Amino acid sequence: MGDGEDLKSLQAKNKVSEIGQFIAPFLVFGLFWEIMVRSGIANVQTLPAPSMILHELYVLIGKKGVLQCHIYHSFYRLALGYVLAVVAGITIGTVLALQKDLRDMFSPVLSLLISVPTIAWIPVLLITMGLGDKTVITAVFLGGVFEITYSTIAGIRSVHQQQINAARIMGVRGLGLFFKVLLPGSLVSIMPALRLSIGYCWRALVGGEMLSAMIKWGVGKMIYDARFWNDVKVMLVGLIVIAFFGVLLDRIMLKRLEHETVEKWGMLVER
Amino acid sequence: MTGKGYILSLVPIGGFFLCWQLFAHFGFINIALFPPPTKIFTELAALFHQEIAGHSVLLTHLIVTLKRLFLAATEGIIVGIVVGTFMGLSQSVYRFFDPIITWVMPIPGIAMAPLFIVWMGFGDPTIITVGAIATFFPIAYNTSTGIRSVDNQLVRAAQIMGANKARVLAQVYLPWAAVYIFTGVKLGLARCWRTVIAVEFIAAANWGLGYMIWDAAEYLSAGVVYGGIILLAAIFTFIEKGLISPFEKMTIEKWGMVRI
Repeated sequence: MGDGEDLKSLQAKNKVSEIGQFIAPFLVFGLFWEIMVRSGIANVQTLPAPSMILHELYVLIGKKGVLQCHIYHSFYRLALGYVLAVVAGITIGTVLALQKDLRDMFSPVLSLLISVPTIAWIPVLLITMGLGDKTVITAVFLGGVFEITYSTIAGIRSVHQQQINAARIMGVRGLGLFFKVLLPGSLVSIMPALRLSIGYCWRALVGGEMLSAMIKWGVGKMIYDARFWNDVKVMLVGLIVIAFFGVLLDRIMLKRLEHETVEKWGMLVER
Repeated sequence: MTGKGYILSLVPIGGFFLCWQLFAHFGFINIALFPPPTKIFTELAALFHQEIAGHSVLLTHLIVTLKRLFLAATEGIIVGIVVGTFMGLSQSVYRFFDPIITWVMPIPGIAMAPLFIVWMGFGDPTIITVGAIATFFPIAYNTSTGIRSVDNQLVRAAQIMGANKARVLAQVYLPWAAVYIFTGVKLGLARCWRTVIAVEFIAAANWGLGYMIWDAAEYLSAGVVYGGIILLAAIFTFIEKGLISPFEKMTIEKWGMVRI
């Protein structure tokens, strides 16, 4: 099939040019930066060249093998905090959505809590929970839980009462009603919140790791510790890692999840 | 919210503080870690009345933070709108900046702070710069989306009627993109606020609400920490409800441009 092959090669070409366009600005920027440093206009100590940063990345991963450990600890905290936030957020949200009196009681509390920046909780957590892991995980939890609660309330309230009634008549009750009717019906609202909140959790994680004195590992900690030696290379490697995983978490994991649930079930209204 | 709902809404907050006060009073909870609400209030009041060089300490913290917020937000908004406009008007500028925005936007401001401390030292320059960077991204992104969404026919119509480039920009592109720019500014201000407080934790020299909270946490004076956080929530609610929403009502809502 000549046409098919043409189409395929065209798609491949498009893909290549897309990637090229994506990398180009970084190349231009990096090259400019490299020249600035090599020609001595910028100070190597405070602004190391991209090649040196890449070398540092190689040293941290390959020779010292510490970067993996930092990333592993960060992800452990992120996963624990995020899962707790999802479970708690969806549970609280469901209860508040179904009970009008409770909702009236707690929605002002919720809107008050949501307007406190997550980072501001960290000093409180440091005082009450100590300077270790618990604080960071709680900060991650607080970073995500309010957003998820909020959209779960909105999502469950948007499920048609008729659907709930229909399910009830057919004898679906309790947890069955929740998993078969309410949760799928509210996913359109919950999924974007899950995506947003993993970004919030990631941010809270980095902040928490930087500010908790007793932890040893973590990407945020790596950057913060580098401050004592003014080690700009390590800081920049840390920033690259943070940016990389920030985008990766958002794009690949959650976009895909959204694709496989909401879109597949045909529930996404054209936005 | 109905009348009954309004009264019910006061129950948890009031009940929470009442229980807290009683628990602390009867010694069920550690007062050093959870000082009762009255103590939080008196500590804040003491800080307010305490004076250094004739100025109230609490007010100075507040004013320093607000000044930083204002400068960072202004810088971020201006640069964001300018860069966003160029991104919207020119495809190649867009292609250049889009990947950079995508990758740098998710980096939290506090993570950039150590780098800027090395470059600029502790204090205002670092805090304001990082705050401005955090503000810049959502605004540039939204402005470019807004400009790109302008209907080409409108532009052509204006051009046919003899409008030059500056006029097309000022009277077609920017008004059309106003809703997007506004969304960007709102997001940017929230980010700016968060970032300024966070960076003040680690980069402030002596003043600022973030510094006040952090310093209090290091000395375990929990009252000031809780009080500071209540202040932060109150200030941000005020900025959002008291400044942004009225402005929004006066401009884009009045022009009938909010799509629901």
